[in-house]
Amino acid sequence: MEILQTLEAIWLARTAILDGLWNTIQISFLSILLGTILGIIVGLILTYGNRAARFAIRIYSDFLRGTPVFVLILACFYILSVVGLDLTAFQAGVFALTLFCSSHVGEIVRGALQAIPKGQTEAAKSIGLTFSKTFFSVLLPQALRQILPTWVNTATEIVKASTLLSIIGVVELLLAVQQIISRTYLSLELYFFAGFVFFIINFAIEKAGRYVERKVAIPT
Amino acid sequence: MLKNLKTAGLAALFVGSAVGAAHADKLQDVLDRGYLIAGSGSTNAPWHFKDENNELVGFDIDMLRLIAKGLFDDPTKVEFVNQSGDARIPNLATDKVDVTCQFMTVTPGRAQQVEFTIPYYREGVGLMLLDGGDYADYEALKAGGSDVTVSVLQNVYAEDMVHAALPEANVDQYESVDLMYQALNSGRADAAATDQSSLSWFMAQNPDRYKDAGFGWNPQSYSCAVKPGDQRWLNFVNSVLHEAMTGVDFNTYAASYQQWFGSELSPPQIGFPVEFK
Repeated sequence: MEILQTLEAIWLARTAILDGLWNTIQISFLSILLGTILGIIVGLILTYGNRAARFAIRIYSDFLRGTPVFVLILACFYILSVVGLDLTAFQAGVFALTLFCSSHVGEIVRGALQAIPKGQTEAAKSIGLTFSKTFFSVLLPQALRQILPTWVNTATEIVKASTLLSIIGVVELLLAVQQIISRTYLSLELYFFAGFVFFIINFAIEKAGRYVERKVAIPT
Repeated sequence: MLKNLKTAGLAALFVGSAVGAAHADKLQDVLDRGYLIAGSGSTNAPWHFKDENNELVGFDIDMLRLIAKGLFDDPTKVEFVNQSGDARIPNLATDKVDVTCQFMTVTPGRAQQVEFTIPYYREGVGLMLLDGGDYADYEALKAGGSDVTVSVLQNVYAEDMVHAALPEANVDQYESVDLMYQALNSGRADAAATDQSSLSWFMAQNPDRYKDAGFGWNPQSYSCAVKPGDQRWLNFVNSVLHEAMTGVDFNTYAASYQQWFGSELSPPQIGFPVEFK
């Protein structure tokens, strides 16, 4: 039977699949984490930076958002090595996804911060709060509610974009599965399996996001 | 076509770098390093793929191991760089690999971006039949005219490709190799047309179930490739491949050929060199 044959192929290749899955998780986790940290900085500069800083970061963000992730990955792998910075395929891939993630998170953060009425910052100033106190006690908790749903969206995009690292030879989950397909010819079955695993990963991220959303929601 | 465009674009992007970092003596560099850095893929049987033990195997891999054997007298002294088809030319141009053997079709366009070795295989399209099916061979298929249905991988050129050999045959296109073979098994198609190497491998895996129709067309040469501008290194790889097909390493080459394509090669005639006949 096809199903038994597929399950057997998956079981036989379990170490290869788990290695690929582990790579996918590492790539996604690192890129989302670093991209979010960098993205918050980008968002802060876009909102509160001076003219010159805003202009520079605007170009950075627009350029990265306007470039296909595919091109970014190739650029990080090849162009950096021409310049003399020899990153491994894994590092170059994570670097590319981090940059991509940071530009998206940056815009999410900017949008959320700008949506908070000016009066709140003024009120905070008038009771003598410093900028960092204003940011962490007044603005961030409110912005977080705006940020979370779209951030979850970006995070799942990054997980899916991690499959593009196969082009520079990183054996993530999809490439690991393709390697099994080339041996067993079970293409539809195994692609379905890969899709299902990606769905599980992203579903977990979405659930985690929902959980945090509930935690930061205004009690009704 | 899209793939070609992408590759050409990539290659064009890195041509500049290729000129800048011209290496003086790759052969010496590799010998000093103590192992070969070899580019190939991992998703195409029988060329380069992972076996049940997750080991990289295949005909391309065997060619690369022959080069390592030539260098260090040890076929295991290779570090394989896993690369997609699109990455073959850029990885050479940016010195990420010493040599690439990855079922690379020699074309004049590519020959402007990399230096090709002598070919180690001639690919073509072949026809596979069910053993004991309605049609015995290519002549029978041709005589069958429009009664014959051929299954083929979905491709812009698929229809023309089949009609070049069987002008009247019906062409059914399938999305994946397994479906294409399935069509032959279930009788929806009378023959499956795809790369001769894929057919040979599939037939070797499933002995006595299928047979080759005995006609091949659309020839293309598969060669290894190196970064341009280092004649000594190119000569070295050429010597290894040449002697694998005609000289001291013939037995290794023939064993590999038998393993992946299921047929035995007769040894080159002793005496006057075959290549000048």
